[in-house]
Amino acid sequence: MENVRDLTLTRRRILAAAGLSAGAAALPATALLAAQSASADGLAMRNPQDLPATEGGLPALPSAAVVTLNRCAFGPRPGDIAAFQALGPNDPARIAAWVAQQLDYNSIADPEIDSRLAAANFESYGFSTDPDTLLSTLWDWYDQGNAPGGNSSSSVPRDEMTRGTFLRAMYSKRQLHEVLADYWRDHFNVFINHSSWARITYQHLDLILRQNQMGRFRTMLEAVTRSSAMLYYLDNFTSSDDGPNENFCRELFELHALGAENYLGVLQQNQVPTDPDGKPIGYVDADVFEAARAFTGWSFAYGNGGDPDNGLYYYRPSWHDRFQKTVLGVFMPQDQADEKDGKDVLDALASHPGTGRYIARRLCTRLVSDEPPQSLIDTVAALFTAQWQAPDQLKQVYEAILLSDEFRTTWGEKIKRPFEVVAGALRAGGADFTLKREDDDTNSFLWRYDDTGHELFNWPAPNGFPDQIDAWKSMTPRVACWRICNWLIEFRDDNDNYYVDVLAQTPGNVRSANALADFWIQRVFGRAIDPDDRQEIVEFMGQGFNPDFDLNLDDEDTGLRVRSMVGLLFMSPEFLWR
Amino acid sequence: MTTRRGFITGCSAAVAAFAGANFNTVAFGSPEGNNQEILVSVFLRGGMDALNLVMPIGGADRGLYETARPEIMIPLTGTNAALPLSGGLGIHAGVNTIDGANPAPSTLYDLYQDNKLALVVASGMHQDNRSHFDSMNFMELGTPGDLTTPTGWLTRHLATAGNLPPEIIMPALAVGNLQQAALRGSTEAINMTSPDSFSLEVGPWQWRDAQRTALRSLYTGNSWLHQSGYDTLDAIDIIELNSTGGYTPANGAVYPNGSLGDHFETIARMIKLDLGLRVATIDYGGWDTHESQGEDGGGYFLSKIEELSRALTAFYTDLNGSGSNNYTSKTTIVVQSEFGRRLRENNDRGCDHGHGSAMMVLGGNVNGGVHGVWPGLANGQLFEGADLAVTTDYRRVLSEILIRRMGNPFLGQIFPGYTDYSPLGVVGGTDLPPIYGDDLFEDGFEAGNTSAWS
Repeated sequence: MENVRDLTLTRRRILAAAGLSAGAAALPATALLAAQSASADGLAMRNPQDLPATEGGLPALPSAAVVTLNRCAFGPRPGDIAAFQALGPNDPARIAAWVAQQLDYNSIADPEIDSRLAAANFESYGFSTDPDTLLSTLWDWYDQGNAPGGNSSSSVPRDEMTRGTFLRAMYSKRQLHEVLADYWRDHFNVFINHSSWARITYQHLDLILRQNQMGRFRTMLEAVTRSSAMLYYLDNFTSSDDGPNENFCRELFELHALGAENYLGVLQQNQVPTDPDGKPIGYVDADVFEAARAFTGWSFAYGNGGDPDNGLYYYRPSWHDRFQKTVLGVFMPQDQADEKDGKDVLDALASHPGTGRYIARRLCTRLVSDEPPQSLIDTVAALFTAQWQAPDQLKQVYEAILLSDEFRTTWGEKIKRPFEVVAGALRAGGADFTLKREDDDTNSFLWRYDDTGHELFNWPAPNGFPDQIDAWKSMTPRVACWRICNWLIEFRDDNDNYYVDVLAQTPGNVRSANALADFWIQRVFGRAIDPDDRQEIVEFMGQGFNPDFDLNLDDEDTGLRVRSMVGLLFMSPEFLWR
Repeated sequence: MTTRRGFITGCSAAVAAFAGANFNTVAFGSPEGNNQEILVSVFLRGGMDALNLVMPIGGADRGLYETARPEIMIPLTGTNAALPLSGGLGIHAGVNTIDGANPAPSTLYDLYQDNKLALVVASGMHQDNRSHFDSMNFMELGTPGDLTTPTGWLTRHLATAGNLPPEIIMPALAVGNLQQAALRGSTEAINMTSPDSFSLEVGPWQWRDAQRTALRSLYTGNSWLHQSGYDTLDAIDIIELNSTGGYTPANGAVYPNGSLGDHFETIARMIKLDLGLRVATIDYGGWDTHESQGEDGGGYFLSKIEELSRALTAFYTDLNGSGSNNYTSKTTIVVQSEFGRRLRENNDRGCDHGHGSAMMVLGGNVNGGVHGVWPGLANGQLFEGADLAVTTDYRRVLSEILIRRMGNPFLGQIFPGYTDYSPLGVVGGTDLPPIYGDDLFEDGFEAGNTSAWS
């Protein structure tokens, strides 16, 4: 490590001394200068002067407040760190208190998001908390053309879903609830731009995930299976005994419940080994084919052949394959009651220990680290399976993860994805920004945000946005996040009011480069940072002046420099760890 | 697997002497030390229905095909009829109907007739896996059956190729929102969608330069995150400095509207900057046609084939200039998908996940035509009695391109466990004995032994 650090310091010192680190940007963009810069600073992606790859340089473990607010929330807002610290005498006690509050989310007063949503004046978003009412109303307005505002485009419910989700991440105090909803939307991914029907039905999917995510997985699984959004996206809505469509069941097994880690390929069902309870240890293609038969007839009402046209779940008994089936060792005799075959499949999946292992690993990957410790996965998986019939099964599971030692002592084994970066910057920056539909400033913001590749609900494949570093270390999201973070700090409305008003939030006694750096470092990160990194921030702020001298922030250039300094903090590696 | 950064560090840093030159054209060491070939890897995500790209147009198999696909078969007559290949097979090449352009843009069939397009039938993996996500990762990591491989096959190609200069400004380009798994673990690839948005010219202009200096310092560190951020800043500098101004495709090429056309255009633009591009990856999604894929050769599947066909032909045309603008002579494009689809259509006028697929290889040194062994569509000839069988391992095709075009015989590194390579004859070039050892160092390479690289 000693050696490694030396190398870094050397490189850092060389760059500073030669003033070359930004040479390429600062110098006129001529080919000759570009080449000189390349030779001196190695401006080539393949470069013999590259430092060797190392495993080091990972960040030290910060306080539980920082860990928790960056992994179970969209980052700290002003005051959040102090409030967390006040929850108990030590970190385990604080986490326990915070988690207990957040899991009982209905008891958290949330006036700010209520007023933000009211101010956004949405037509569809939050229209009803009754799923059937919401779905049939959305269908009437945007499929049947009866929208009260006169615009029946399916982009209306889609755009309001996006804006409402940003607002909740930015302003709701029920942060764990928001993080979990984000998790389950990826887990049960529906591509919102698959079609107008997906845009119309997506809010219903989001609502049933929110209503079930603290409950029982089996209940949530059935609610999703019956949701028009999923029935349509994965084609089950037309699946009949004439020729079952396997699309939904393939992903039901592989993505929603058992996971590909329990997939045994094309073996015959009777070749699959069984566990001590006599259950097949995994699934094979024949289970998918048989399950597809079990779900024939599970559809929704879209007005074909004289059926109702209200968008709601609709079982079509005449499309159901009535003959016997076997799925995961469960035998289903012919002519079972309506929907019983499908419910038997969901029971078999939700109670299977493989599902417990898969969901435990996925949740730990989201909440703890990209490669969570097997011991934690095993503990959580055993709980998941043992409690599969408990009405608060999932709440117990989250609690087991978040109160574990592994949760508290793990840091820097994940990075923020673009949604978390941008929502986090808006939170840390104390943004006053109510996203609305048909609002130029909102559109301008989202147009830039969508460049990050994390456009909400816009992942085409059924596996949902990736969760791990391998994907998000890519350059496209990195550059797009840098760009939008640096744009946000000068983002203004028509009256020139800043949405993230850095200067207005800087206390009057914070004027020197040292003080400005320290104030905003604490605000953005909730902690002190590496002294070398702090020094870079101070030097940027001071621009050669004594860092203890007060700066005149009323001077336009100096004020913009403070804003740029905050942009720099949002762009820094420190901001990405979680 | 040692990373590239890891094992090139001993190399002398004499490149400063070449300032002002295009590094890729600087002759380092022996002539064979500077392979100039470009490989473009196109991935069709979702399981492209290869039986509606290349299908029987005669014989007993035609009858089996029509029986199994009464609604979705590609017809023998009409506007969207299959066009004849050899061996009783035909191709659905994407006749232009998108905008009624007159004259219609050229299609893949024109390239086929020009002997620039090879079709490898019944290709794929011998894995018995019908999961999209596992199958894509198996293929792109180059390790069928193993999802834990930390690097992609193209990453390992670039790391093991002994015939590339030690300094290349832009050796690899991953076009799209995320870097493809084929380039997983690469620290020398640039990932972007378009050069026009790959810039830090944003924020208060007075402090941009100082801010960028500070940002570079903040990303100077040991962790993977610091290093990838530092690489990203290098990449931004490279793109900002070199791709100023707009871009006009050459030779009358017209890219189709949409991100596929845009992304191919980005690759062409980067190739022509002469920054040393050797490998590019690009995705085209939307092939998971379980439902309503189209009848009489039309509909959704045709629209996908058309867009692909137009993008590939525009890309080829754009690169196919003369003299120093003849980039096709050193470019090979390979198109693949994670698996094919079931022979029998489902009740929703679509088809479910299958097995054998088809690959397309396009380029100036391609031996056009149909390659591989058509396994037949009778029950006993199908995989699991349901899907087109795999008669050509996809690694065989890629290995041939690696050896004959890229001059890289280190198959044991790039495709560990693959040991029975023989060329199929898809591309021209010099055969090298494949090196199957899975440890680079067995084969005379070691850290600091730079003589092996130049």
